[in-house]
Amino acid sequence: MNIEEEVQQELIKSFNFLDGKIRISRIRRIFFEMPVDKLEEVLEFLMDKIHFNILCTITGLDEGITIGILYHLTRKDGVIINLKISIPKDNPKIKTITNYFPGAEYYERELVDLLGAEVEGLPEGPRYPLPDGWPEGQYPLRKDWKSDMLGKESK
Amino acid sequence: MAVIERIVNWARIKSPWIIHFNSGACNGCDIEILASLTPTFDLERFGILLKGTPRHADVLMCSGPVTRQTKDRLIRIYEQMPEPKFVVAVGTCACSGGVFDGCYNVCGGIDTVIPVSAYIPGCTASPHAIIDGVVKLLGSLKKK
Amino acid sequence: MDRVVIPIGPQHPALKEPESFRVTLEGEKIKEVSLRLGYNHRGIEKACEARTYMQNIYLLERVCGICSHSHSTCYVQAVEDLAGVEVPKRALYIRTIVGELERLHSHLLWLGVAGHEIGFDTLFMYSWRDREIVMDLFAKITGNRVNYGINTIGGVRRDISKEDQKEILIAVDKLEERTKYYIKVATQEVTLIKRLSNVGKLSHADIESFGAVGPVARASGVDRDIRRDDPYAAYDEISFKVITDNNEDVYGRTLVRVGELMESYSIIRQAIKNMPDGPITVKVPRKIPEGESISRYEAPRGEDVHYVKSNGSDIPERVKLRAPTLANIKAVLKMLENYNLADLPIIVAAIDPCFSCTDRAISITKLDTGRSEIMDWKSLREYSIEWYKKRGIRF
Repeated sequence: MNIEEEVQQELIKSFNFLDGKIRISRIRRIFFEMPVDKLEEVLEFLMDKIHFNILCTITGLDEGITIGILYHLTRKDGVIINLKISIPKDNPKIKTITNYFPGAEYYERELVDLLGAEVEGLPEGPRYPLPDGWPEGQYPLRKDWKSDMLGKESK
Repeated sequence: MAVIERIVNWARIKSPWIIHFNSGACNGCDIEILASLTPTFDLERFGILLKGTPRHADVLMCSGPVTRQTKDRLIRIYEQMPEPKFVVAVGTCACSGGVFDGCYNVCGGIDTVIPVSAYIPGCTASPHAIIDGVVKLLGSLKKK
Repeated sequence: MDRVVIPIGPQHPALKEPESFRVTLEGEKIKEVSLRLGYNHRGIEKACEARTYMQNIYLLERVCGICSHSHSTCYVQAVEDLAGVEVPKRALYIRTIVGELERLHSHLLWLGVAGHEIGFDTLFMYSWRDREIVMDLFAKITGNRVNYGINTIGGVRRDISKEDQKEILIAVDKLEERTKYYIKVATQEVTLIKRLSNVGKLSHADIESFGAVGPVARASGVDRDIRRDDPYAAYDEISFKVITDNNEDVYGRTLVRVGELMESYSIIRQAIKNMPDGPITVKVPRKIPEGESISRYEAPRGEDVHYVKSNGSDIPERVKLRAPTLANIKAVLKMLENYNLADLPIIVAAIDPCFSCTDRAISITKLDTGRSEIMDWKSLREYSIEWYKKRGIRF
């Protein structure tokens, strides 16, 4: 059994809802989707039990009626776990993971500014990356947003 | 042209003071502007000095497409420069927005915000092109 | 004590200034720093969703003018994964050579900038003059000094001829001699060591917790390098050392970068010696099958990450990039705490930031007087050089 399959087995053993959901796309790359309410449990397992305690980045996706959030975690041997949760666009709330990864702050701010996610527990601080005075409710990375929605006065 | 004006013009051509501003660039052109000052290219032999403050500058060398965050700052710097002043757009992005034209946080080339006296295209604009552009600008001042 | 914010500074006194750094001082020590980023936010990820995979190579090269090959390679690697193609070995070796040449020019650039920040302008002039050797090589091999355009999806666009290879080896020999001189300066020049040591210290544990990458992390003993840990291009067939240091300060970050220069020379020599014959590109269809992939690259500044999601068309569904400097921002804010204001320029410069520092405004609030002022970067650098001159450190 290779390393990726070992990780896959470990995950399924502890979380049987992941059975059949884990995809090994190539060497050192594992992808899976999972329910939001289990996020903390799975993160803690990944960090404490199988040493995936490095956060590469967080990617936000516009999936139509949901917003997908991918957490990309890695460890010393270079394997990357790409873990996805989906939250409803009309109530896009998630909890911050800056308590586990202080470095996640800027990645979560991007989700807020560009996709309109609401990250509970994000520390106080300036927005990133959009400028002050950016119109409320306009999220550039959403598929239905076009730059002409900014209006001529903002230019 | 009156005598005083000719002297001031001569001084300006002989030793233009430059201020450099990055209005949202990828740093490529900024590095090439700095490289023009290093021994291989040595812009200073033309009497050109890089100054920090707009109040003493004759020429504003600007790189990058203008992002929304930098637009006000760019206008303010331009307004603080004493007349007569000249603006050089360094690099394709400064000339027209370049590859970022149409991106949502980008206004466009420098001339969408302030008047430009000389355009130096290139992605990046090499030090050779920068020197050529600045010397041409100085040459055009001579004619006045 | 009340804090009164009085915007004084290079711009019009009555207008509010969008400061990037907000520093709170107690006496001369930095108590707190906050940073406003986004000046260079151009909306590239959104733009990628309106361009074909091929057009995006051109766009992504221009994310950063110093590590353009890093972004371009990281991206094509992700697309090649999605397309399921095997890139010819020769192309991988060429990517490696260009990538290491990029590391050379970037670290030499950094050496000069660091010298400039502390008032050591001779170092700036020397290192940038040496850097021109690499720039000439780029112009010769790829056709441009910056933004080389060497990558395509499925390989590279230009080969490196036997003649070019000879020139690269001659240049590498010359640069190696020059780097030995820089190592001497870095390890024996007392003034330099005094200026850079014990400044901007950040422990191994803090680096891990903030997720810092690249030479910044390696200077605090974090043994991590994507070339070795998650190999790409030709790195799995080349032997090299990952340079780490335990000084945990700006001096350590200097030693790591100069050490990496020496390793790069060795990597380039190996790559040229062992470069296999064969094609330099493989055909890839315009439409990329549905899927998602994530690619990493060890850019000169650290780990670069690109995620690409495809939907079966010739235009990507999503392109996400995380440049190395963003991973180091939280670390640099921590690094500044309890150091002198005069140390700010070199501490920030030591993370080799990929945002232009030439014209950043810094807002400084003094807790004991309650006054606030705005400085521009140049004034802060001059203040810093003078501060150290008064304490006997001058170049």
